[in-house]
Amino acid sequence: MKKFVYILMFSMLSVLSASSSQAEDLPYQGDIPSLHEEAVAAGIKHSYDGPWEYFVGGGVSAFDCNQDRMPDLFFAGGTNDAAMYINKSSPGGALAFEKSDASPLSVDKVIGSYPLDINNDGFLDLVVLRVGENLLFEGGPDCQFIQANNRWKFAGGSDWSTAFSATFEPGNNFPTLAVGNYVDRTAPGSPWGTCHDNELHRPASDNASPNYTDPLPLSPGYCALSLLFTDWNKSGVNALRVTNDRHYYRGGQEQLWRLNSGRYPRLYSASEGWEPLVIWGMGIAEADLNADGYPEYALTSMGDTKLQILDLEQAIDENRPRYEDMAWTRGATAHRPYTGDDLKPSTGWHAQFEDLNNDAHLDLFITKGNVERMSDFAQFDPDNLLMGSEKGHFSEQGSAAGVALNTRGRGASVVDLNADGLLDIVVVNRADNISLFRNEGMISEHGPRQGGNWLKIELQQKGANRNAIGAKLSIKTGNKVQSRVTQVGGGHASGSAGFVHVGLGVAERATVRVQWPDGEWSAPFKLFANHHVVIERSKNTFSQWFPIASTSTTTPE
Amino acid sequence: MKHHMFSVKCGLAATIAIAITAHANDPWSEKAIPQPVNISDYQGTLNKQQLLSLIDAGNTLFSARFTSEDGVGRPMATQAIIPTKRKRPPRSEFARTAGLDANACSSCHNVPVVGGAGDFSANVFVSEGFQHSDFDTTDPQFSNERNTNHLFGAGLVELLAREMTSSLIDQRHQALLEAKATKIPVKHVLNAKGVEYGFITAYPDGRVDTSNIEGIDSDLVIRPFSHKGVMTSLRQFTVNALNHHHGMQASERFGARWTSTDDHDEDGFEKEISSGDVSALVAWQATLAPPLPLNVEDERWMAAAQRGEQRFKEAGCADCHLPYLPLSSLAFADPGNMDAAGTLRMGEVPDTVYDMALLDWAATLEKDENGDYKVPLFGDLKRHVIADQQVAAFGNELLSQRFVERNVFMTTELWGVASTAPYGHRGDMTTLREAINAHGGAARPSRDAWKALDEASQTDLIAWLKTLVITP
Repeated sequence: MKKFVYILMFSMLSVLSASSSQAEDLPYQGDIPSLHEEAVAAGIKHSYDGPWEYFVGGGVSAFDCNQDRMPDLFFAGGTNDAAMYINKSSPGGALAFEKSDASPLSVDKVIGSYPLDINNDGFLDLVVLRVGENLLFEGGPDCQFIQANNRWKFAGGSDWSTAFSATFEPGNNFPTLAVGNYVDRTAPGSPWGTCHDNELHRPASDNASPNYTDPLPLSPGYCALSLLFTDWNKSGVNALRVTNDRHYYRGGQEQLWRLNSGRYPRLYSASEGWEPLVIWGMGIAEADLNADGYPEYALTSMGDTKLQILDLEQAIDENRPRYEDMAWTRGATAHRPYTGDDLKPSTGWHAQFEDLNNDAHLDLFITKGNVERMSDFAQFDPDNLLMGSEKGHFSEQGSAAGVALNTRGRGASVVDLNADGLLDIVVVNRADNISLFRNEGMISEHGPRQGGNWLKIELQQKGANRNAIGAKLSIKTGNKVQSRVTQVGGGHASGSAGFVHVGLGVAERATVRVQWPDGEWSAPFKLFANHHVVIERSKNTFSQWFPIASTSTTTPE
Repeated sequence: MKHHMFSVKCGLAATIAIAITAHANDPWSEKAIPQPVNISDYQGTLNKQQLLSLIDAGNTLFSARFTSEDGVGRPMATQAIIPTKRKRPPRSEFARTAGLDANACSSCHNVPVVGGAGDFSANVFVSEGFQHSDFDTTDPQFSNERNTNHLFGAGLVELLAREMTSSLIDQRHQALLEAKATKIPVKHVLNAKGVEYGFITAYPDGRVDTSNIEGIDSDLVIRPFSHKGVMTSLRQFTVNALNHHHGMQASERFGARWTSTDDHDEDGFEKEISSGDVSALVAWQATLAPPLPLNVEDERWMAAAQRGEQRFKEAGCADCHLPYLPLSSLAFADPGNMDAAGTLRMGEVPDTVYDMALLDWAATLEKDENGDYKVPLFGDLKRHVIADQQVAAFGNELLSQRFVERNVFMTTELWGVASTAPYGHRGDMTTLREAINAHGGAARPSRDAWKALDEASQTDLIAWLKTLVITP
């Protein structure tokens, strides 16, 4: 009898497991973007090169430096000079870029960069991470940049800097800058167990211009490769999340720094719920996948990618940052190449959640690439395009989309480069040219077609924090609510600034509310799909923005 | 022996199965859709034979009393325009409030003939269908009640809206170019076919202030259908209505592309309505003949109508109920160029064009001095505030609809008005006189002018309106 019960249970489990497996194995039925690589045709020829120090890094910043709202691109070069490319693309058309030859940004030893408006003048500035002195560049009109370390009393140091994030702490006029550092090459025993401390540059409170005189060490450092200020517990106060490379640290783990305004940073401990996690941390991506206000995180590594979800019970009741991994159940591990014969583990770098088919479900893009002849890891290691679906599952569609190239990806940006509402992808490859993937539309038997509806939203406020870093957007379509947050940091050595993109699926209108960085909620904005929208806090209305082409279109944008 | 019995039983079951398998074309079939219309059979500019064939298919579908064997029902989906799941099946599939509320399109669109308007008993209840999707009350806090509009001339209305929208988008573009060239903001009054829609301000950096647009949405898309003026195309409306009223879900919105399943409503039927089916329904509706004024033979009526038409203009009614709008082309592309995702769009299938000039009624349309067709719709394809403090009958709702305020409605096209009583968006006005008296808000001066007319002049005006018939 007992045996019969066991057999029955096994049969039931088999059925259950078969159905579960079948559900996951169902062919992806959503739109797959056609991503056409056209870097050379677009005028971009740039490579990230160099010895050991440049096995990591290789970032790109996507931001508008000439006030036309079209993202321009700044590439790290390693031992090559970094390069600024100005966006000359026509709206909705082929991508075109022109290198800015005389730019002061053309410095060497650059690992990565992040754009933000540090001095609140309305022009985006640039934080440049280097092997050696990090540099702050003050932005001006028409992509003019001036090195501002001295003026802003910023000590660029001499470390090997690989990560960055910024936030406006309450009451401060200028942003707090966090710099993540990698291996201390001068320490005895280097490179093993010799990680630099990270740095926290808080602005002096009584100055009219940025003053970063007294940076704080964030110690211990465990060879950080990505930092992200994040409101993990919906408290309105950011903590600093750090992903670290276990390859070099000893006794280290992932970290979460508590930064109550103005107070000395303190690490969350195991007794406070932060469970030790040891990975080859390379990049952080944040998204509120279930729109509960608590962000989820993707952490790239060598082998499987983590997809962490907060234990809400512990977070709400006891403010404990305890996370569970749901990468396996969601199909997002991306642990080995999805095509080709190489079954060795992957090496993940940049990660970014965005909606590439505008179906109102976030997708996850991950760059992949062997560090440098690491024989235990895949040599052919294509970037991942994990398409999100209705039930939160991810489906790998990199091959079909066209991103499965034999390159070694590092930093990247998923960004709309030609203002057509379709997100394109730019990837910095080690020792190879940039990959520039134009999103031509969704693959169909009749050629690329439009995807779902979309909105792109730019936030502006006066005074400090002009671009509303830390603002949260709530986008409601029917019963569905999506959320976005404006951040500086994360990814792998790559930042972006500009419009926030949201896919709307089949909704042709959306109600959008903004929670500004100081916590104040806006009135609802009633927005029609397929438009760029600029929301200014000082006004109770919005304006639309249009890329100005020489001919108009008779279809709704 | 057991094996033998099993075989016998199986054989019997197979025989029974063969015996009861019905084909859609069998006379006893309970399916209403014989077979899906294949959209690939209708590509390019259709010749007259192809067009009439598609129209015929649409005619069949429009009057088809859909059954559960076609896929009627949406036990796990609401009536919402965006595919939305229910939490649990409704107690009853059919309900006059939240739907399912009709068996066929023609169940409501039948006054004076199929394709026409509807009686008060054919009212529908529009709500967003997201929350309270199972409302079982006519309480206006849950829904807005809508009388059925007629569809005659609907293809011309959509073509007008497309041309006007294209013009407005082009005007916005020109304003942006001018602002960029001159480096100063440009204020531009939006005007399409003589209808003004407020103004925009274009800035040199590409921004556009839309806060002074009037009567249409901020995206400048004229949505000419529904009392509220919130539906872009016959195609969009058809997809909405099939789901709302019948639980027949069109693949182009409810299919796997957008919902990860071909049976979004979980009624056991996949791909209930094909894109070809929707095209056929659109072709049939779009090609319904426009209502043209009656050639009155009764001399007394003719005289009264002539005077009444004059009174209509003098009272300012024609400021919104424009006698005609000019249309440059009768080529109706389906899908059109103004729809958004969720309704089939241009480029998603090979282009199909219905040349309405092939139809007999096209010859009855007059042309203006520019060679444009005069579409005598007596409307302006613009929304207006239609209620005020004193005259508030048309502002009797609690819910806005798709971003349009509760007291704002699209100007009702008057062509066919004599054949489509009752009146008002709720269909609760039995006479034209009542409907005119109810005009408030932006229409208040005209309504007051009408009220100031003597009884004979008012009667003349009614006599004229009574010539605006739908001729079967």
